[in-house]
Amino acid sequence: MAHPYQTQLLCGHAPIPACAGVGLRSHHHRDAFNSHAKAGWLEVHSENYFGKGGAPLRYLESIRADYPISLHGVGMSVGSVDELDYKHLRKLKDLIVRIEPGLVSEHLSWSSFGGHYLNDLAPLPYTDETLAHLVARINEVQEFLNRQLLIENPSSYLEYDYSTYMESSFLNELARRSGCGILLDINNVYVSCANHGWNPLDYIQDIDAERVAEIHLAGHSVNTVAGRNILIDTHNGPVSEPVWELYRFALQRLGRVPTLIEWDADLPVWQVLIGEADKADAYLEKCYAQAA
Amino acid sequence: MHRLREAQRDFSGYVLQESNQIPVGIKANGTTPEQRLSIYRNNTQLGLTEVLRDVYPVVNKLVGEAFFNQLASAYINLHPLQSACLLEFGEQFSEMITGILAAQSLAYLPDVAKLEWRWHEAYHESDMPAMDLSALAQLDPADSNRIGFKLHPSTRFLVSNYPIAQIWACNQPDYPADTLINLNQGGCQLLIYRAESEVKIVSLEPADYQCLTALAFGTTFTKAVEQVMVNHPDFEVQACLQHWLLKGLLTDFFII
Repeated sequence: MAHPYQTQLLCGHAPIPACAGVGLRSHHHRDAFNSHAKAGWLEVHSENYFGKGGAPLRYLESIRADYPISLHGVGMSVGSVDELDYKHLRKLKDLIVRIEPGLVSEHLSWSSFGGHYLNDLAPLPYTDETLAHLVARINEVQEFLNRQLLIENPSSYLEYDYSTYMESSFLNELARRSGCGILLDINNVYVSCANHGWNPLDYIQDIDAERVAEIHLAGHSVNTVAGRNILIDTHNGPVSEPVWELYRFALQRLGRVPTLIEWDADLPVWQVLIGEADKADAYLEKCYAQAA
Repeated sequence: MHRLREAQRDFSGYVLQESNQIPVGIKANGTTPEQRLSIYRNNTQLGLTEVLRDVYPVVNKLVGEAFFNQLASAYINLHPLQSACLLEFGEQFSEMITGILAAQSLAYLPDVAKLEWRWHEAYHESDMPAMDLSALAQLDPADSNRIGFKLHPSTRFLVSNYPIAQIWACNQPDYPADTLINLNQGGCQLLIYRAESEVKIVSLEPADYQCLTALAFGTTFTKAVEQVMVNHPDFEVQACLQHWLLKGLLTDFFII
């Protein structure tokens, strides 16, 4: 049976093109408007625009005339055992109606328990129990929003020994059963694989290419915990060389996929951000040339 | 859903420092489960501290980063985040500062925090166009005693015994030079609102303050003016009305 969201895809005000975009933070609002250096599209954190009015919303409404926009959520807590927060979903839906984004995404994680929020993306055990829970939740969300969600693989710093799925297979299965798309964050693949001793090439090989509608790239940091290196998904610098390498590998499998540069802390000047996007574009072009 | 629930209960309890129960089944993988969990604990702490610092930049500047981190940490423990919408986080910060002994040498600090929270609220409040003056002109003169005004949804008021508007202004990033502020110069009665994009902080004269707060309360204009006149017989009614109409503070009127 074809899932309703499999046929009803990507229908925003302007679809997200298969080129590089950048994550827009308020620090760069002016540059995104005025600079000659343009990104192919922009992604914003949905929750930053959950206010009732004022400058942020006004800005987003005007910038969408110049760029296709994608809405990326960090707070839906879709994997939580708490009830879905319909106040949150209502705000997201209002924003979707207002902005008509090309894509709407969230994370394979949870962030609240008993009504208390962690303000972080916490890891899930990958079991049948979790899968059934997530399929039901994502169905509920997609139904309420009346559109497809993309679900992103998180960076994680711990895993559960009773997980019975690899993260990649879990995502594939979740996408297959709920009709959601996959947002493949290559930096997160790299970070989690390094932290848990997984093989990043196997992870990418295993991902259902048909389902991947967006890619994320970002910088990470290296922390030493008890003499062991733990990678932290800090988004505070350029994309590292091994992540670019993994990206090139992924493109061979996935083909041209809209690719976002995320940089959220220690923000550089706009041109540096665009430079990272240009780099991703060059790899996307190459991938296209090879495929042709 | 027992196992998933238990994992989330113990994980969140540990990260929010409500308990030290380690969720079962965490792979140590070269470290310990505590060390792995502490990365999340740290993320939550640092992330929420930065959220508070963004909302309270002047408090941060006044007390310094290190002491602000302590205040933030106390706040996060006392008022755990209750929604994923971070715009709502930090409302009771002023109240909490009042109770912190080490902050009491800066007696004006809670009021500065109140001002920053009201600024934050006004910044994100609903939009509302200024009043349609032609509708006001068509008003039946017989109704003029029964007219009341709606104020812009972003409107907030704040009274302080300290010159907090001046303290706020001198601690903005673009303020030219250090200024000495005389804390004994007396307090202020402030209006905080956002008619266009920019939030304004306005020091009101006592008569204007009394009139606008009465209007915000839903009192008719006639009644509000009568109350003001008791203490301020020279109150310039027309000038006050015209000024706030033009500034977009009055967005609608109603007849009681």
